[in-house]
Parts: sequence; C-alpha cells; structure tokens
Amino acid sequence: MLTDWLLPILLFGALALMLIGATRRVLAWRAGRNEPVAVVAGLMAMPRRYLVDLHHVVQRDRFIANTHVATAGGFVAALALALLVHGFGVDSSILNGLILLSAAGMFVGACCIAWRRRNPPGRLSRGPWMRLPKSLLVFSTSLFLITLMTADWFPAGLVGWVFSGLLLIGLALGLAEMLVGMGWGGPMKHAFAGALHLAFHRRPQRFGGGRSTGLKPLNLTDSTLGVAKPTDFAWNQLLGFDACVQCGRCEAVCPAFAAGQPLNPKKLIQDMVVGLSGGTDAGYHGSAYPGKPVGEAKGNPGQVIVDGLVSAETLWSCTTCRACVEECPMMIEHVDAIVDMRRFLTQERGETPGAGVQVLDNLIATDNPGGLDPARRFDWAADLELPLIADVGKADVLFWISDGAFDQRSQRILRAFVAVMRAANVDFAVLGNDECDSGDVARRLGDDATFQRLARHNIEVLGRYEFNRIVTTDPHAFHVLANEYGDFGGHYRVQHHSMFINELMEQGQLNLQPKALGRVTYHDPCYLGRYNGEYESPRSVLSTLGIEVQEMTRSGYRSRCCGGGGGAPITDIPGEYRIADMRVDDARAVEAETIAVACQQCTAMLEGVVEPRPQIKDLAELVSEALVTEARA
Amino acid sequence: MANFESLFRPLAINKLTIRNRVVSTAHAEVYATDGGMTTDRYVRYYEEKARGGCGLCICGGSSVVSIDSPQSWWKSVNLATDKIIPHFQNLADAVHRHGGKIMIQITHMGRRSRWDGENWPNLMSPSGIREPVHRATCKTIEEEEIWRIIGDFARAAKRAQDGGLDGVELSAVHQHMIDQFWSPRVNKRTDEWGGTFENRMRFGMEVLKAVREAVGPDYAVGMRICGDEFHPDGLNHEDMKEIAAYYNKTGMVDFFGVVGSGCDTHNTLANVIPNMAYPPEPFLHLAAGIKTVVDVPVIHAQNIKDPNQAERILDAGYVDFVGMTRAHIADPHIIAKIKMNQIDQIRQCVGANYCIDRQYQGLDVLCIQNAATSREYQGLPHIIEKTEGPIRSVLVIGGGPGGMEAARVAAERGHKVTLVERADALGGQITLAAQAPQRDQIAGITRWYALELARLGVDVRLGTSADAAMIRDEQPEVCILATGGQPFIEQEPEWGAAEGLVVSSWDILSGAVEPGKNVLVFDSICEFSGMSVADYLSAKGALVELVTDDTKPGVGIGGTTFPTYYRSLYEKEVVMTSDLNLVQVYTEGDQKIAVLENEYTGQQEERVVDQVVIENGTRPNEALYYELKPESVNKGQIDVETLYANAAQPVLSEPQNGMILWRLGDAVSQRNIHAAIYDALRLCKDL
Repeated sequence: MLTDWLLPILLFGALALMLIGATRRVLAWRAGRNEPVAVVAGLMAMPRRYLVDLHHVVQRDRFIANTHVATAGGFVAALALALLVHGFGVDSSILNGLILLSAAGMFVGACCIAWRRRNPPGRLSRGPWMRLPKSLLVFSTSLFLITLMTADWFPAGLVGWVFSGLLLIGLALGLAEMLVGMGWGGPMKHAFAGALHLAFHRRPQRFGGGRSTGLKPLNLTDSTLGVAKPTDFAWNQLLGFDACVQCGRCEAVCPAFAAGQPLNPKKLIQDMVVGLSGGTDAGYHGSAYPGKPVGEAKGNPGQVIVDGLVSAETLWSCTTCRACVEECPMMIEHVDAIVDMRRFLTQERGETPGAGVQVLDNLIATDNPGGLDPARRFDWAADLELPLIADVGKADVLFWISDGAFDQRSQRILRAFVAVMRAANVDFAVLGNDECDSGDVARRLGDDATFQRLARHNIEVLGRYEFNRIVTTDPHAFHVLANEYGDFGGHYRVQHHSMFINELMEQGQLNLQPKALGRVTYHDPCYLGRYNGEYESPRSVLSTLGIEVQEMTRSGYRSRCCGGGGGAPITDIPGEYRIADMRVDDARAVEAETIAVACQQCTAMLEGVVEPRPQIKDLAELVSEALVTEARA
Repeated sequence: MANFESLFRPLAINKLTIRNRVVSTAHAEVYATDGGMTTDRYVRYYEEKARGGCGLCICGGSSVVSIDSPQSWWKSVNLATDKIIPHFQNLADAVHRHGGKIMIQITHMGRRSRWDGENWPNLMSPSGIREPVHRATCKTIEEEEIWRIIGDFARAAKRAQDGGLDGVELSAVHQHMIDQFWSPRVNKRTDEWGGTFENRMRFGMEVLKAVREAVGPDYAVGMRICGDEFHPDGLNHEDMKEIAAYYNKTGMVDFFGVVGSGCDTHNTLANVIPNMAYPPEPFLHLAAGIKTVVDVPVIHAQNIKDPNQAERILDAGYVDFVGMTRAHIADPHIIAKIKMNQIDQIRQCVGANYCIDRQYQGLDVLCIQNAATSREYQGLPHIIEKTEGPIRSVLVIGGGPGGMEAARVAAERGHKVTLVERADALGGQITLAAQAPQRDQIAGITRWYALELARLGVDVRLGTSADAAMIRDEQPEVCILATGGQPFIEQEPEWGAAEGLVVSSWDILSGAVEPGKNVLVFDSICEFSGMSVADYLSAKGALVELVTDDTKPGVGIGGTTFPTYYRSLYEKEVVMTSDLNLVQVYTEGDQKIAVLENEYTGQQEERVVDQVVIENGTRPNEALYYELKPESVNKGQIDVETLYANAAQPVLSEPQNGMILWRLGDAVSQRNIHAAIYDALRLCKDL
C-alpha cells in the first residue's frame, strides 16, 4: 500500500530535515559567547522545568494552558508513537489505539487554538501563527485517519488511493509544519528551542520556585563591553530568544509599550531572532514598536544591533520593571538582553541619552547621581544624632540610607523610618558619609564599571563592621545589596523596611494608634515585588495600621511600574503618555485617596503627577504618623 | 537653588551642629515669663519653631544677668537666680525633642531700661549719660559694680548651661552695657575702662573671659554686635570690624550675630527691625563686612523673610546663618514648608512690625496675621486638622482679613465654604492700606490668603454684593458676616460730610477722589491710616497739614514704624500739628475753611484749603446682620465664654434647624487686622 512505504519516508524525511535545520540553528546559537552550562543536569531537569515551572506561568491563562497540554502533549505522544508504528513498523493495536487517542487530543487542542485565533487579541502575532492551528488540525486529522487506515480499522471499501494520497499529503503538510518548521524557524521552533532553553537557561535558580533577578556582572576585560551584535550575547541567550512563542503577554504588561514609548518586548525578542538568522523584520506579524514602522529593520549575526536592527530609544525606554520577564511563559530574560545592549551603548559608545551622561559623570565624580557634595550625604540627619557605626562598632541593624539622603522628599521617608526605629528601640547605626550610591542606576544605565567600583567600595566599607542585617527604605538598594553584591563578595542579610517594620509589628514593638485615611491602595515597587518577591510584608503592615487595601487591578506580581526604574526618568524617552500618570489612573480607578508606596523613587514619580490625585505616602510615613508619642513632659 | 542646598547645609557652632542655616534670633517675647521664669507659653512658642524645623533659636532677647537690670518691663528672662535652671530644662527638652537647638541672649542693659519699677534701681552706665528712647537717667558705674556684673554674667551663663540650653549670646548690641562701654558716644571715662580702644574693650573682654571660664571651652558662646551705630560720634563700620576682630582673636567667641545700626534714638531704633518701608536685607553688607574679619560663623537677621532670599544670601556666602525671626513669628513652620515643597503656603512676614511695636509698648509679641503664634499653649493651631464632625456649608460675607481667615479655617476643617466679596479683589481695608507709599507690602497678607483659599477650593465670588435674599437662597448652615465698616465722617454734622465738604481717607486712598493741592488731613485716630493718607497726598504733590486732637500725629503707632512715616512726611514738608480739634468746615468761594480749636485753650484758628480729608475710623456695616439676626438659630450671638476659652461654640453641638449667624471684625466694632483674624480663628477652628 502507498502508506506502507511512503509513511516511513515522510516521517524520517521530515525528521532528517528537522535535524538539519536544528543543527544550523544550534550552530547559530553557538556563535554567541561561550557560557558554561551543566549539560546533563540541565537536560535531566528539563522535563520538570517544562511540565512544572513553565506550566505555572502558562497556567495564569487556564484556557490556553489546557489547550497547550492537549495539543503539545497529543503531538509529542502521537509523533513518538507514529515513529514506532509507521516508521519502524511495530504492529500493535494498543499503539495504534494510543495514536488515535493522542491525535484526537491534539485535534481538540488544535480546535481550541483555532477558535481563539478567530479574532485574536492584539498581543498575539499573526502571519505563520495564524496558519499553525490549521496545520495542527491537518496533522492530527491526517495522522488519525492514516492510523485508522493502516490498522485496517477503516471499512475497506472506503480506502481508495486518492483518499490515502490526500491523507498522506495532509500528513506531509503537518509534518512540514511540525517538524521541518521546528528546525527551520517556523512557529514550532518554540518547542525545540524552548525545551533546550529550559535545559540550558542562564538562571537555573528560577526553577523550582526560586528567584534570580540580579544582573550578571560584566567582565570588564572583554574586548567589546556589552552586546554590540547578536553574537555578543551568550549562546544560551540567543537560544532563549528562539524560544519565544510571540504570545505577547510581555507586550500586554509592558508599561513603556502602554505609554506609547518605542518599546515592545515581544518585537525586541523577535528582532533578536532576525539578528540571529539574518534578514529583516518583514516577516514579523505582531504589534510594532509604538511610533515605528515594521519592515525596515535589518540585521545579521555580525552586525551591530543598534545600527539598523533596533533603535537605541527602544533600549532606553525600558524601566527594567521585569513585568515582561514575569509574564513570559518561555521564561525569556528580556531585561538582561536590554541591559547587555545598553552596556555597549554606554561603555563603548558613550551614548547614554538624556541626562544619562551627566548622571554617570556625577556618580564617577561624587558617588551620587545628583553630583552633590558627598560630604553632605548626612545633612538631612544633622539633628537626629544617628549613631555612626564607625563610632559604635557594631549594631543589630545597619540602616542603609541610599541617595534619598540628598532628596528632600525622600528625607521625609528616611526621617519617618528613624522615628519608627527609635519608637521600637531598635539598635541601629549608619555608615555616614562612607556610604556611596549603591550603583543601581549606573548598572541599569549600562555602566557596569561604575557599578562595580561602587559595589566594591561599599562592600569594603561594610566589611569593616559587625551587624546582623542591613535595612533600607530603598528597594533598589535592597535589590543590589541582596542580589548583586554577592558576585563581588558581599553577602548580607538585607531587609526592606516594610519587612523590618512588619517584624517589629509582629513582635509588638510598636505602640500604634492608627488614623483614618479613607480609601488606600498599595503600589508594589518593582524592585521589591517582582525582583524580590516581597508582596506580603507591606500589606501586612498596612493591615496592622487598620487599612483595608483597595487593590488595583494590576497589583502584586502584575503591578504596573511607576516609570521610575532602570534610569528611565534620566534617559527620558518620549511617549504618548507618562507611565506615572497611567499608574495614578490605576489608583483613581479604585477611588483611592491615598497611594501607599514603599519606595522613594515611586514616591517621586507618583507625586510628579499633577493634582488633583491621591496623596502619596511611604509606609514609613504612615507608620510614623500612627505612632503614639509620649505625652508632653 | 531650588533645593535650598545652602540653606539646608548643617554647620557647627563650636561643638554644636545646627541642622540648617536658619536662626530665630534673640528678641524680647514679652509674654514670655512670669517673674523672669519661662512659662508654658514661652516653651510652646519655641517648641513650635523647633517642630517647624528652625535650626537654632536664640531666645530671651535682653535676658538679664543681674538683679539691678530690670526684667519686668519686657518680661525678659531672669538669669540672676538659680530658680531659672529647671525652667530652662523644660525649654531645652521641648526644643531638642524636635531636633532644634536653643541658646539664650544674656545681658546687663545698663542705661537702656527704666528705673521706675521692680526694684527701683539706679540705672548704670559707663559715664551716666541719659538714654533718650527710654528717657532713662542713670549713674556712672563704679569699679566694684563692674566686677560684680562681670561675675553675674559668668553665673548666668553657667545657669543656662546647667539648664541644658545649648549656648549663650552676649548682647553687645542695642546699646546694652557691653557696647555702652565700647561706644565713645556714651563712654567718656578716663580710667582703665574708657578712653583708649583697649580700655573701652575691657569690660566686654572681662565678661567674655569670665563666661568662658564658667562654661568651659566646648560650650557655645557668641556675641551679638552692631555693624555700624550710624551716629557721627558713635562706632562706624570700620570701628566695628576692629572690635569684632579683637574679640575674634581671643578664640573665645564661637559666633557673631550682627545687627546693622545702633538704636539709642527713635530713628536708629527703626533700622534695627526694618519694617515694610525698607528694602530686603538692608544691612547685609555690614554683617558681610564683619564676616571678613572673623573666623567663626556670622549670623545676620534684618528683613530676611523669603526662602529664596535666604538661600541667595547663604549661597553667596555673605553670612553663615540667616536670622528669620519675624518670618518665624508669621509662620513657625517656614522650614517644614520649604522642605515639603509648599513654599506658596508659607505665611510670609510683611513687615507690619505689629510684633515688635507691641513689645516696645510692653505688650506681648503677637503677629498681625497669624493669631496662633504664641497662643500655641492655649490650643490655637498652626496646622488645622479636618473635622470629624458634620461637614457644613459655610457662607462668609466679606473678604477682608476676618472673612478670609474664617473661610480659610473653615475650609481647612473640611467644610464647604463660599466667600462673597463686593469688591473685585480680596483684602478689604488691607487693599486700601497698601495704597500708601512704603506700605504696599501689607498686601502680602491678602496675597497669602488668596493663594490658600484657592488651594483649599473655597468658592470665592468677587464683585458680588450680598443681601438677605441671596443668603437665604444659599441656605448655608453657618453664615459669617465679616462685612467691615464705613468711614465715620458724619460724626460731627459741622464737618459737613452731608454737604460734601469733606472726604474720607478711604476716598483718597482708593483713588475715588482726586487729591487736592492744598489739603488738611484731620486724624482723630492717630494710627497708620492718617499718616498713610497724608503721605499719599504729599507724594501726589499736595501741600499737606496733618492735624490731630491727640498729643502727636501717629502717636498710636509703635516705635519701629512712626520713624519711617516721619522720615517720609518731614522730607515732603508735611506739617504735623497736634492738640487741635476740627470743629467745622465751610466754604468760601471755591476754598474750604477748616475751623480748628485748641484742645487745651479753646482758642480757634482757621485753615484755608481746597480739600479736607477726615480719618475718624469706621462704623460697622451691620444692616445685613440685624436683618438676618432674628431668623438665625443663635440670634447672631457668639458665646464669649467659650470663645475666650478657645472652645467650640455651644450652638455647634445642638441639633440644628436653621442658620447659625456670626459676625466678625470691623462689622462688630472697629479694631484691627489681628483682632479680626484672631476671632475668626478661634471661632472657626472647632467648626
């Protein structure tokens, strides 16, 4: 019969073509920088990462999660079985039955996908992705019927060669999409690249419920600092780009995209894919970078990315809020890629836009972004008589002040927190003028050299003293101290003040008499929430203050950025709206009179929104206002 | 500049770190003490400044070290006894609690006082020369007394230290004992305490040594000196630089406070606390000159009221600290408001000098525009909290000071407030007062209210006349009538107001009536208004005679303000005549004849002029009040017992069916800006 000899050819032929394509793909990835990975352990861990960790993310959309289980599960099972039965000629009615079952499952899944594709949301790419459900349907149907036929479960009279021929053509088309396309850059590429991406992920700590958000240190002796061309990425970053399914969940949560700034994380990843394989973005069928046409970007593995593939404004629009990374079902690391490319722009080309150059110069000259006299770091506390750790030698809490010390608004937060610590008789001390900027902004602006210098200085200073923990009101400092200083030998127990105050409250250290504040919402700072997973402490603090938080639609891990991270206010790329305005609109939507925040940067951004708007108060301020002070003597 | 970087740069005085560069300099508080002991009122007054962020308060202007330097006239602090120490501890704790620092000025006033009270002392001075401002005669101080007083200084400084205050400022300014010895104008001695420079410096030097000996090297000790006495026979700026350098060289002085001008005459005294007639920081150059010869911080106050002005002075490095003393009396939260980026909310001093002019009359220091200042101890708030009771609709009629304050306070309480004003601008009589030469700055009071009312969302309806029908239509729960008054020129029918023979000072200042060429101003009030209208007329080219039946034109104006009027009026050859009453005005051709009668002899004389202007105060606009009174739930009454106790009006806690009606300010009887604002605040703070 036709099928007897053609089926194995089709299957093995498709597999062979896939392998050739895959090899080319692998070679393309391997053109990237070397980055050692645990090959065997990664491959061993991959199924669990795929089935558990990735599924957790996908499952935020239950419909598509179930659809994907049916489709992908059906496909993988059907293909494996078909290889046995049709490829190697194993004859087993059980196997045939299982193929039917798998193909049927895949068919159901494909139907669901087709249904969703009738009128897909804007975040989904079109183009070949519109074809995919059809291919899935054709493949699953063809395989189902062919299996019926080869197993002789069809009424014999129905099987004509024309019919068989049609089925085989259908199967061939299906295989072309599913296998050949997998190796040669079709939509199904994601399955193959995705699986390997999970196996060789740069941040294996993210799997199994862990967290890894610190940027990777730049080797300052590299011949090119940062990423100039696609091959300057680590090979497994390139692999990661290929894993993208263009679902656009990143696009849907990106604050810069929403504000009409020229950034779309999905397009960025797809442009990386263009760069990886060479060509233009003409084949991209998703939303553009706001304000920029599609089809004009060109690139290849050896070409500098910002010279034609991605504009610098796109890279500088990012607030590093990690909303895209948090949402990505393929666990792609957009922020790493953006900062890698910023490193090139800043350190090789000196092209940090806006006030960026000034800020970096200031950090180099004065160790603070404002270029202010470093001897004035503690002016804000001249009347507080804070104990210097150099004088007291050791303390339970080292209070990390951060550059809020130079800003009048932030000083109010700092002073409020001092009042809270004093009320609870906390044994704390400060570094005084020995403290330098944490390096957060320098690093996000791509100047890792300055970051590393500041980090080493601060680590050296911290190393002189004895303390149990560092507490700070600044989530950015919290993040770098906790997650990024480790690469340079600084390992500390670091707490954000929300966590620390919550502990004080739980221990009954604070005598509070809360005031009525009306409707209060809470804005999760990105560097506290997504970067450090701290969503509960601030809410617990507010609840202890008797506040019932009116949650905004986007809160917790889906919180919308204030617009203040990643140096975005410094580079100041124009858009249609201001991110901070949109965030305050989120709060207005729940009729909040007060937005409780836990970050000086968020405070600055949200207070920058024109009034009338809800008042902005840091947790420390809310707590200090509720403190019962001793009666007058 | 925008961040006030220089202003917020801490600086140490000796071992004492001051958190910013703003000082409330020494001034006599007057309400301050009970028998020379600081009271709760005193403590709360300074605590409020510290709470508001002031860096350093130097309290107790002219606080005395000796039993024979009387303190009771100005109720200054008495450091001549150990009893003061626990009082200081309360004061220091209250200021330190908020991160502020507090020092006290100590002095022996020598001849600059009064002898006719308290212990009836013989006042003393280096050469027994009389002091004109206080009409103070005195004896020539003897060697034994000199050494006793030097010891008194040392013991007083030690008491300040023991009481926990952060330092002392030796007053060698305003012609107190130390600078009485310095000035050749007053020190005519030929012994070792007078004559040569070293001899004239000796008393101050011995005081400094003794004080330093008593308090040790680490305690802050400063000196307040003048920058130039502005007397041909006194100390000029170069002399003062020499003196400052001489004491600086000892290394025993930790800071110098510099005041431009001496003050032992009425005219120089006006320089010391420059009123609104002066430009900003008129004597900064003198303080800057002193700074060039000393190594320690220099403090300078005198017409520094604005944060940007202060920052500019500090940023340029003219001096190290700015004194913003009246600025703090007007708004003790000035620093906090700068930090909160609420500069527009600062109630800025306008230089009306109500504070200091009361002090020179021995009355408690009050602010013309901020009724809460120094009344913190009675619970009058600088920051008005929102009400937790019902939100009411409040209708205020009249946009003068009383109406504006009532609207502000009610709005701060969270009520729904409407203010109706007949004129096209807020201000009431403030607007008129600001028309006179050198008095324009008083409009700053209105400027602040206009900003605050806008910020608070008060519905301000200008150019709108109110009548009973309109008020009934609005159905307010509370109606406050602050409708002011009208010039009272009809008091004597013989003046001829009805026949149009005379005009009021308002007619002139408002521009409603053109100034005449030859004008007689009759002023029975003898405060600002008469002087202002005379000044206004002469500035427009009129020949003016200012006549009063009182003892002296402007006699009701305080010591720092009548001199600036006199300077202006004498220069323009305004004739000032006292003791004459206006009995009649009649016409003769196109001239007007004013008939004047001497208060004491009954002798009459006449003036031929083309315009007669009368300043005879106001009568309340009360028609609206009497129309509404019967239908109001409280019959228009304010319960004075609760008002004076700063408590909520009883009517507010009664079940309300109908309108509460109150009236305020000159709509009741003619008083002044402070009175109207004070009543509005205490009436509305519990609304």
